[in-house]
Amino acid sequence: MAGLSAVAKKTLDCKDLHSYLKTLPPDILDNLYNHPATCLAVFRELPELSKHYVMRMLFVEQAVSQTVIALWVTNKHQDLICFSEHKTSARVLSELRVWQEQSVVGDLPGWTLSPTFRQNMRVALLGGERAWIGGGALVPDKHAKDIPFLDKYALERWECVLHFMVGSSEGTDGVGNDIIDVLLHSGLMKSEPNEPLPSITPAGFQFLLMDTSSQVWYFMLQYLETLESREMDLTQCLSFLFQLSFSTLGKDYSTDGMTEQQLRFLQHLREFGLVYQRKRKAMRYYPSRLAVNLASGVTSLNTDTNQQGYLMVETNYRVYAYTDSPLKVALVALFCEMLYRFPNMAVGNLSRESVREALVRGIPAEQIISFLRSHAHPKMLKQKPVLPPTITDQIRLWEMERDRFKFTDGVLYSQFNSQSDFELLRDYAKDLDVLTWENPSKRVMVVSRSGHDDVRRFWIRQRQSNN
Amino acid sequence: MTESSVSSQLIIIVDTNPVWWGQADTGESGQNQMSLAQCLECLMVFSNSHLMMSHRNKLAVIAAHTDKSIFLYPKKDQGGTSAINISEEADQGDGKYELFGLVNNQIKNQARELVINGGSSLLYPDTVLAGALAMALCYIHRSEKEVGPGEQLSSRVLIIKGSEDNPEQYMNLMNAVFTAQKQNIVVDACVLDNDSGLLQQACDITGGIYLKIPQVSGLLQYLLWIFLPDPTERHKLTLPPKAQVDYRAACFCHRNLIDIGYQSSIPSFVA
Repeated sequence: MAGLSAVAKKTLDCKDLHSYLKTLPPDILDNLYNHPATCLAVFRELPELSKHYVMRMLFVEQAVSQTVIALWVTNKHQDLICFSEHKTSARVLSELRVWQEQSVVGDLPGWTLSPTFRQNMRVALLGGERAWIGGGALVPDKHAKDIPFLDKYALERWECVLHFMVGSSEGTDGVGNDIIDVLLHSGLMKSEPNEPLPSITPAGFQFLLMDTSSQVWYFMLQYLETLESREMDLTQCLSFLFQLSFSTLGKDYSTDGMTEQQLRFLQHLREFGLVYQRKRKAMRYYPSRLAVNLASGVTSLNTDTNQQGYLMVETNYRVYAYTDSPLKVALVALFCEMLYRFPNMAVGNLSRESVREALVRGIPAEQIISFLRSHAHPKMLKQKPVLPPTITDQIRLWEMERDRFKFTDGVLYSQFNSQSDFELLRDYAKDLDVLTWENPSKRVMVVSRSGHDDVRRFWIRQRQSNN
Repeated sequence: MTESSVSSQLIIIVDTNPVWWGQADTGESGQNQMSLAQCLECLMVFSNSHLMMSHRNKLAVIAAHTDKSIFLYPKKDQGGTSAINISEEADQGDGKYELFGLVNNQIKNQARELVINGGSSLLYPDTVLAGALAMALCYIHRSEKEVGPGEQLSSRVLIIKGSEDNPEQYMNLMNAVFTAQKQNIVVDACVLDNDSGLLQQACDITGGIYLKIPQVSGLLQYLLWIFLPDPTERHKLTLPPKAQVDYRAACFCHRNLIDIGYQSSIPSFVA
């Protein structure tokens, strides 16, 4: 039982860029810094202090002593927080290999920025070197696309994936094998032996409730993990992805100068809706908002910049969803009891049963709350807090309700011959702090699994000495 | 809302007074001088660094000229960043981040226009600083109204100034400064030449940093070290201590800075 509940409670772990990069081997990391876009993306994810360290050292060619850098932060005695912040900032920089240790004059320990990182940061900031891939001039596109078109396109593509996950028939024919592979690999869906299409897992339900930018980011992370099995180069793809996230929305880019692998990667991105390409062979592509928000959406998990919120939550547990998309209604229906359906809105009720149903499916309360918050209607966003506290508290309480049982492995001791025997053993177990439960009138007690050996040994010794 | 939805906006006011820059350029004292072009280069790197810190950061650059102030960035006629503008102006052949290229091009073009067309009227040795600051405050006010629900904007102003103070602007400047203080806008000043009493007061009142640069050739490093951190982070970093502030007021009728002022009790009047 204990094992089961642990699995059900596992939340979907969405890594940020920093923790993802930490998992990469050092040589790949160094390779990544060969592109200005990656350096920019990494730089933006650094803690505030680290950013300033990098900026201050960007134009310093030599190593800087560690004590000097420590002096950059205010070190008043009461300011221990600042000092620990300095420590973490310095550690992050070392972990990401942005700077390396190098001793300065007089054998003092110092830090110096990694040469490739320094070089490419300067390129990004000041210019020079060769252009980014596809950054060259293009003849104007006769089928030029504007931003609203791209937004619509990207959203349609992405909703295809979500539709596929919830198993609705709408537009699922656009979902290719690559997407299914990634979904299976990430454990968001699993394939049943006797079903033609894979089915959704508890992790998948949690995925559905995340906001779009984190969905894309999570999905791309999973995709990158499958790259090796496709025999594609992680560095090339990742630096292209970062470059994409720093490109301008509504501008077209040329596919000139892209390697074979990057072209393949581009086709995959096209399938996910991260880029728009009119035809497979077209020489130009448009990055969509999904791609542009990738680098920025990593930290701001709680605001969905793609689309306007559509949910109103009232203190009477009513949820109004102003949408005509069946997918969005289906998402709300995951934890709501739907009451009415109108052409432009749907009304649901948050009830104990409906929320418990979601909890049983493996959706934690926090996720329901963050879903309600991140999709809140603009009118709701004006009030503070965004969601009525009664609702958030109640959803949390409903979750805690299910946690009333605490499972501990243990061994039952029963059939004592005398009350004194029972008391002797019970007191011994109590002294060792391994007694879980006792009932003196029935002469039974439960000892935790770890204490069982000691208690048994004591009992055997006791019996022998008595005999 | 969490802290991540706070975006930081920086308004840079740069002094483009032709009289002062002309003197500085032809100045005989050699290595301690720089030209307006060099100053603008530093300014562009600094503004790009500010944009680089976070994708939410916003930027505006105002040139304070001798008889008017204009926006160098963003351009006035451009309502929102339309796609055509970007693709036309950001064409470039090197590895710079596209947005930075766009910002640089706009600043350069606008500054060129200002230099070519701006010299028609009489030249004065002082700059319309108060006007530029008022423009900055209006711009901040507008952009704070325009942010979406649930977002916050924290703004600050940085003044880069070379020319002499003009006591005639004392009243106007102080009015603008007190407005800034009321709106919680920090005013920083980076002074290239002689100490400026007016700006010292402005920074002291709004809680900003006032710095007279000891070496003008190192302008960029000073900007990056001292003026890049946001006011919210400044307490964490060791920054130059506050200098003595020259708190002399200007005589209201003759516009001269005075050491001892007498105030009449009936109207608020310094003479």
